[in-house]
Amino acid sequence: MTDILIFILLAIVIVAFSILAVTSKHVIRSAVYLLFVLLGTAGLYLMLNYHFLFAVQIAVYAGGIMVLFIMAIFLTHQPGENVRKKTNWKIVSSSLLSITGIALCGYIIVKNINRIATFARGEEIDMQNIGMAMMGTEKYQYLLPFEVISVLLLACIVGAIMIARKDKEEEKHDHIKTRIEELKDKSENNKENKI
Amino acid sequence: MLLLNYSQPLELSGIIESVDTFLRTNMSPGWATFVEGVIVCVAILALYCIIALALIYIERKITAFFQARLGPNRLGPYGVIQSIADMVKILIKEIIHINRSDKFLFYAAPFFVIVSSFLAFGVIPFGIDLQAIDFNIGVFFYTAASSIGIIGVLLAGWSSNNKYSMLGAMRSGAQFVSYELSAGFALMTIVVLSGTMQFSELVEGQRYCWNLFNGHISSIIAFIIFMISGHAETNRGPFDLPEAESELTAGYHTEYSGLTFGFFYLAEYLNMFIYCSIATTVFLGGWMPIQIPGLDALNEVMWYIPSYVWFFGKTGLLIFLSLWVRWSFPRLRIDHLLNLEWKYLLPINLVNLLVMVVIVLTDTSLAGLFPSLLATN
Amino acid sequence: MSFSKYISGIFKALKSLIGGMRETWKELWTKKVTMQYPENRKTLVISDRWRSELIMPHDENNEHACTACGICMMNCPNGTITVTPKMIETEDGKKKKILDTHIWNYGTCTFCNLCVITCPSNAIIFNNDFEGAVFNKSKLIHQLNHEGSKLREKKKEPVAVKTPTTTSSDSTATPATNKDEIISKVKENNSLTASVGGNDSTNVEKTVEQPKQTNNNKDKTNE
Repeated sequence: MTDILIFILLAIVIVAFSILAVTSKHVIRSAVYLLFVLLGTAGLYLMLNYHFLFAVQIAVYAGGIMVLFIMAIFLTHQPGENVRKKTNWKIVSSSLLSITGIALCGYIIVKNINRIATFARGEEIDMQNIGMAMMGTEKYQYLLPFEVISVLLLACIVGAIMIARKDKEEEKHDHIKTRIEELKDKSENNKENKI
Repeated sequence: MLLLNYSQPLELSGIIESVDTFLRTNMSPGWATFVEGVIVCVAILALYCIIALALIYIERKITAFFQARLGPNRLGPYGVIQSIADMVKILIKEIIHINRSDKFLFYAAPFFVIVSSFLAFGVIPFGIDLQAIDFNIGVFFYTAASSIGIIGVLLAGWSSNNKYSMLGAMRSGAQFVSYELSAGFALMTIVVLSGTMQFSELVEGQRYCWNLFNGHISSIIAFIIFMISGHAETNRGPFDLPEAESELTAGYHTEYSGLTFGFFYLAEYLNMFIYCSIATTVFLGGWMPIQIPGLDALNEVMWYIPSYVWFFGKTGLLIFLSLWVRWSFPRLRIDHLLNLEWKYLLPINLVNLLVMVVIVLTDTSLAGLFPSLLATN
Repeated sequence: MSFSKYISGIFKALKSLIGGMRETWKELWTKKVTMQYPENRKTLVISDRWRSELIMPHDENNEHACTACGICMMNCPNGTITVTPKMIETEDGKKKKILDTHIWNYGTCTFCNLCVITCPSNAIIFNNDFEGAVFNKSKLIHQLNHEGSKLREKKKEPVAVKTPTTTSSDSTATPATNKDEIISKVKENNSLTASVGGNDSTNVEKTVEQPKQTNNNKDKTNE
């Protein structure tokens, strides 16, 4: 009974804030609504007694990614401005895309709903089991995918550093060049004035 | 267990148990759980506020002593009612509405900060049986819960429509995101040592040897790093540049007044308490009294001091340390602050984690070296 | 940055941090300098040079040294002092100007000390009784000469008019009673207070002409 009540509450929160996140015209408000959606999802994990995923959801999505989102929005030009209206073609294409997504998700859910219901009634999973599963090399253990993902992230970091450095140096040179030109102009002007 | 009950007359677990049995006998199990939940919530809220008031008073007093002053001394003996008077003042103050600010985010921001603080507060083990919820992943949950607070700070800075608030929020964001990393790594080092994330098991594992000493070099480095990054995460001490008065008026909470400001204020003080109590639990044995294997008489005597006194004593020691640091050092510049994290704390932390893994694998922790003296079992 | 430099930098930083913390630790145990004011009244020492309230010392015969010359009034930069003389006839039938009231306004005084410096007969001084707060603005207007007081005779050796030694117990006890007396008198003379403001402009003009004369006077009295 209470389980169902809490589930309905969480579901309402998730659905309502998802809709708000999409329809809101302020970027930063959308981000905050999205945060509520993520927190609601974390609540669902907590309901399933899946504490580890609950904490990961909060730490990674709410505490990590959303902070980055908000910081990124701060750094954009005029984050308080309203979003411009989309063109008709864009509306049609995006609605098509979203309907496809909904259909796909719905199909998977309907097909697997019986199986999920049996999985949901699980005991709390021990941290050590999760660690073993992530870091092991035997059957049902996932060290290889884990490491592959970490290589991807490493590539991302290296790429980011490369981009940041290149830009900076170029800027520096540009800055120096313009400065030199300015000085030249000035000295020429001075000479002319003296003459 | 029976012996323990006799030897701990001041513990609260007896009262808690009797309340539980009373509720269970008089109500249906569902309602009993509900009522217990409400009682726990109210108790935690009350404790939260009382600790905040006490902390504000203690902080002002100790600060004054460090500056050769006397501190609050007018209201009540030695000024003990001062923080209560301040609380009443904040409660009855007007909440000022800012024109052209984002109203929804402006009023939502303090709640993020205080809710994250509450969440982290909920998992602290204050004593035997004095823990609201004992998660399997307690340490990780603390890290996760405390990471929500920064969103409140960022939103507060942005929605105030004030450039100083905005700058304060940006600084705070950069600072928090970077120092959260090293705080997490420091905690992870100890998780590697003790092999568990559950607070109750962490405390139990430190019965004869605190984690601070158990992992010798590596533990001490982790402890120092955790204290530094905890300091930085709570925007205090030499790291209080998000609210640097001389540069940013008051940083992200410049535009807040009354209770909305009170939330930030409360959360700041409580975050200090929370990170000190996590440090106590993880490094200094939590509520466990000092126990020396072999000296059973002494151990028995130590158990007479209730566990929550041990907990608050150790935490108070750490809070004093944090205040001492706070009033010793000048404020850092933002680039120095980020240098400290990314060029010093983080690399040291990673190496330290490796060292700890080696220590655990080669069984050279103190408990491993002297199993007869210090082993838990 | 070489690796050894990096490591030594860390230890250097730790050393300096611990040094700083040792300093503050010492500070924690030093004696606190705060004075708790109302409690420490008995032991409170206020410097003699502190100017607080203008008074006119009277001796045991209720005599003061003010000749009602008005120099203090002229020298006052913002018209805080109002000296009202009156003419009487002495026993030998001569007409003589003596002091009627010497009104000083606590509220507008800047404590510049010009009146005390220029007074030719050292009749007025500043004491250091600093507790001047009152609930009513009109209570700030003090009459300095006591009821029924008169000018000290010339032939008498002038009583030393240094600042009365100001152990705090004296300064709190006696002036307080004086103040009450004065206040009651001032209430009677309320009509006078109205003229205090009116005299401002004339006073300022006169002070410009005065200084030489006052200096001479001062020299004479010193001799």
